[in-house]
Amino acid sequence: MATVTVEAAHSRAELLHQPRSNKLGLWIFMASETFLFSALISARFITSGVQKPEDLNQALAFGLTCVLLVSSISAYLAEAFIATGHRRAFLASTRITIVFGLIFIGGVMFEWREALENFPPGTIYGTAFFSLIGLHAFHVLTGVLALAVVLNLGAIGHFGPANSWPVEGAVKYWHFVDLMWVIIYPTLYLF
Amino acid sequence: MRREWLVVGAIWAALTALGEFVVTNWSMLPDGYSREAEVVNEAYVLLLVLAVPVFTFMVTMLGYSIVAFRSTGAADDGPNLRSNKRVVWTWLAVTAALDLAVLINPGFVGLRDIRGTQSADMAIQVVGQRWNWTVTYDNGATSTTEMVVPVDTRIRFDVTSTDVLHSFWVPGFGLKVDAVPGRTTQMYVTTERTGDNADDSRLRVQCAELCGLSHADMAMTVRVVEQAEYDAWVENLKNNPPAGAQQAAAAAPTADGGQSDQQASASDQEG
Amino acid sequence: MRPLFRAIKWGVGGYLLGAVAAWALSGGSGSLNGPLAVTLGFILGLIGWIFGIGGWNHWGREWFGLPPRDDGKDDWRRYLRFNTDHKVVGVQYLVAFIAVLGIGGIMAMLMRLELARAGTDFMSEETYNKVMSMHGILMVAVAVAGILGSFGNYLIPLMIGAQDMAFPRLNALSFWLIPPVAVALLSAPLLGSFEAGWTAYPPLSVLAPGDGQLLFNMGVITFGLSSILGGLNILTTVTTMRAPGMTWGRLPIFVWAGFSASLISVLFTQYFAATLVMIQLDRIAGTAFFDAKAGGGTLLYEHLFWFYSHPAVYIMVLPAFGVSLEIITHFSRKPLFAYKAVVGAFLTIVGLSGIVWAHHMFTSGMANYFHAPFMALTEAISIPTGVVFLAAIGTMWKGRIWFTAPMIMATGWVFNFMIGGLTGIFHADVATDLQLHDTYFVVAHFHFTIIGGSIMGLLGGSFYWFPKITGRMYNERLGKIFAFWVTIGLNLVFLPMFWVGVNGMNRRVAVYPADLQRVNEFISAAAFLLGAGFLLFIGNLLYSAIWGPKAPANPWNASTLEWSVSSPPPHHNFPLLPEVVGHPYEYGRPGARHAVLSNAGATHG
Ligand code: HEA
Ligand code: HEA
Ligand code: CUA
Ligand SMILES: [Cu+2]
Repeated sequence: MATVTVEAAHSRAELLHQPRSNKLGLWIFMASETFLFSALISARFITSGVQKPEDLNQALAFGLTCVLLVSSISAYLAEAFIATGHRRAFLASTRITIVFGLIFIGGVMFEWREALENFPPGTIYGTAFFSLIGLHAFHVLTGVLALAVVLNLGAIGHFGPANSWPVEGAVKYWHFVDLMWVIIYPTLYLF
Repeated sequence: MRREWLVVGAIWAALTALGEFVVTNWSMLPDGYSREAEVVNEAYVLLLVLAVPVFTFMVTMLGYSIVAFRSTGAADDGPNLRSNKRVVWTWLAVTAALDLAVLINPGFVGLRDIRGTQSADMAIQVVGQRWNWTVTYDNGATSTTEMVVPVDTRIRFDVTSTDVLHSFWVPGFGLKVDAVPGRTTQMYVTTERTGDNADDSRLRVQCAELCGLSHADMAMTVRVVEQAEYDAWVENLKNNPPAGAQQAAAAAPTADGGQSDQQASASDQEG
Repeated sequence: MRPLFRAIKWGVGGYLLGAVAAWALSGGSGSLNGPLAVTLGFILGLIGWIFGIGGWNHWGREWFGLPPRDDGKDDWRRYLRFNTDHKVVGVQYLVAFIAVLGIGGIMAMLMRLELARAGTDFMSEETYNKVMSMHGILMVAVAVAGILGSFGNYLIPLMIGAQDMAFPRLNALSFWLIPPVAVALLSAPLLGSFEAGWTAYPPLSVLAPGDGQLLFNMGVITFGLSSILGGLNILTTVTTMRAPGMTWGRLPIFVWAGFSASLISVLFTQYFAATLVMIQLDRIAGTAFFDAKAGGGTLLYEHLFWFYSHPAVYIMVLPAFGVSLEIITHFSRKPLFAYKAVVGAFLTIVGLSGIVWAHHMFTSGMANYFHAPFMALTEAISIPTGVVFLAAIGTMWKGRIWFTAPMIMATGWVFNFMIGGLTGIFHADVATDLQLHDTYFVVAHFHFTIIGGSIMGLLGGSFYWFPKITGRMYNERLGKIFAFWVTIGLNLVFLPMFWVGVNGMNRRVAVYPADLQRVNEFISAAAFLLGAGFLLFIGNLLYSAIWGPKAPANPWNASTLEWSVSSPPPHHNFPLLPEVVGHPYEYGRPGARHAVLSNAGATHG
């Protein structure tokens, strides 16, 4: 019957376009988020130029940067493993990524306790510092949550080489969050 | 075909002539009291003169099409005319040329006339605060109720604010500049004509940036007077400051007391 | 209805949870509507609401690997729940935003009542500020999302031959983010400090006591999120879901308009969100973005705010360009004149819109060397916009003009938006703007652009697509009367505002010099007349939606795809798959077609 073929064609069309749509949608979303970060980053330069206080915890910040960079590698591995069907390795890499993410958030919390003393939000550097890092940490947190969902579903047998979009999406997002840190880090600590 | 364009052209020409007559003879803008206001008025009229032909052309085309090409249903189609390169490019060229004309004069010319010289015969300090203005003259005299300035003088207003954004505007001078907390902004005015707020409500300092409750009432009267009269006035102001001028500055004029007290104290804390 | 009640319960629960958390965080000193409580409460309440209305069913269950659950029957109640059908979402948007237009309009009537007299006779200045701010922000919301949300969602998939949007769930989400926004905005005045206008300039918006501004911020940020998600969906849909043969060069012009507007809303909206987050942080976390003493500054806010809010005016107007050109084309029965140039113009407008923002700041005290470039760039926008006007008159020229209600709206749009656009040049010119900024001249300018541009597009589109959406015809005679009423009424209300503006009346005031009272009386009277006209609109459409005569699939004999399916369209839009074979507007060429519908299409997949 005509209707049957049409229904079938509909769902086939859906299968064809959905991966493309998902990818494009994520890219658009990240482009949009870039604007959000750029707003706060430009606020930092407009209000306080490149001035920064003496008592920044440079060592900790550098360490956290490394943690995030390494986590991007493990995230990449997770994506690569599921795409080739290595479920165990995929789960392990995802777990490692999540742990790195949590370490990062813990580090930020530690740093904030110091920062609240040295340059509270009421100072102009503190304003940029807390708002930018807060925004970024919030994104790390959502990234961790996304990875946790992926991990949970992966553990109960979802995903495989033909069906790895959610993993890929979460990992792309994770890379994006890392990339933002790569811009925020010099903005706040190095210039 | 030809005839159609002749009719359109004739209507356009007639409407344009009418429009230009109206905008050059009936100026919406009343005369100002400063050279800057004159620049503004001239720019304004010039823009109107340039806008009229654009406007009348569109009106003519719209009106003519509606009347001449009317039909009553979807039975019949018009010609399958998708585009016409010549028309499009001509249109682009004409609008671009018009744009350039507007940009040069009144645009750049006006900018030069208003902002060109940064020198002044005298300076007046202006402080905005919710919800009144304080002007301070060279000799230290201050006023919060009336601003008197001499005629034929180039005056620099140094404007700032102690709490939120305000905007220092004298409609009769044709200019305004925002009063920004933490900064001083400048406005140059060259007075040209004497006048009194009693005769023209546009001679007032009016806050033009929303600043809360009594934004509308954040005004004071302005008088443009001869130099001698000004000298006497400002000297007198210095020697006999109006009683309670300072207190008047602190207590904002209010429409309903309770709320505004609360607001004033809030601004005290922050400011 | 169950999900709706659940959403309300979870929403309220979320708010209380947030408030309690805030109370605990502040060591038990805060109240249930303190600054932190409002913020946390709104966030948790929003999450609760979204999960309750459908977030849990449509995402949450999936995250935990649970099977999805059925939504319920497809009767009228589908409009009251999280529904992924783009046609339902479109109708939800349309009804919601016409209601918001009504509320905003009632605010306008109250304002005009007060402004009919020079003093404060009807309401206090405080109330006036609140009403004015409310009018501004509600109307801006209508203009930003009204057309894009309703016709964008309803028609873009139909016009490109798709069965739905690319992300149907996200689509439903962007609509259901709106009710909490409405609740936040409408209740904000009750908490005080809702007096900074729709622009919410700090320090006023930071210093004003009371927490209304906080709710305003949260509400508008959420609205921004909705608008970003909606834009993202439209961009993706248009890119990936076009029917076979639907090349970029064959997209109906409304699709291009929606696409261009979505580009802006996806990127620039973030700046509005960012500025409001900054205000929020200044208020609840004590940051110093806008505190001049600590080194912050208000110019920062103005730059960031207008970096969004100028492009936003093109989010408002581009979809209306699309609607109006669509109407003009079909009712002139001629191909859209200079289609390619119009598409180019849309994209040029998108590009230019991002680099003109400082024309709102000529008096702000920003550096003088900014003035000349921003004046030049702003005036340059009139060139692409002019192309849109050329397309309008070029299409009508020698057409077969069928002067129906939508067509009257569309021609009225050309007329009124032109007045708005030309007076925009008076603002773009620095010399004149130094006088005209923040006077009623601005108010007149933007009502001509927003009502003449955006709202007339919304109204015209409501008539034009009414038979498609409801399956019934509206009353043509009343429609025509209304179309003339709005076109003329608009001029009666807003033309005199140019005059009061140049004669020294500044905006956002409840009291003004007494010598301007006569003209203001006239404006108010005209405004009431204009407002009353809307009853005709609401009445006509409500009545016709229920009792109107049944409409055929294609009452206008129009060529685009949405008219090739029944009215209203079936669930999956196209029972037969469309294949696009030609330009969308092939009027006047016998035998030419835009698309063929066939079973064979099914095998093309
Ligand atoms: C739909 C909304 C919309 C649209 C489309 C526009 C379009 C334009 N606007 Fe407007 N504007 C607003 C909504 C809009 N505006 C709002 C809401 C405000 C106030 C915000 C607030 O403070 O609250 C504002 C304020 C505003 C200002 C700041 C005023 C001030 O506060 O001092 C300026 C200054 O340049 C400006 C300019 C323009 C220009 C140049 C255009 C151009 O895009 C217009 C282009 C169109 C034409 C020019 C007409 C058609 C063209 C032709 C027929 C071709 C030939 C013409 C020429 C060559 C000139 N607008
Ligand atoms: C979409 C945008 C939009 C629309 C449609 C309107 C419509 C109107 N506006 Fe608005 N206006 C703005 C956007 C808009 N405005 C903005 C952004 C501001 C700036 C705010 C600020 O400064 O911050 C503003 C400010 C503004 C001012 C200046 C306030 C001030 O500066 O002090 C005035 C003054 O007259 C005004 C008047 C009107 C009038 C008379 C209408 C009329 O056209 C209204 C006509 C009536 C209706 C549209 C509704 C009628 C409906 C019914 C009668 C019943 C139907 C009921 C239901 C469905 C429930 N507006
Ligand atoms: Cu001060 Cu408005
Ligand atoms: Cu603008």
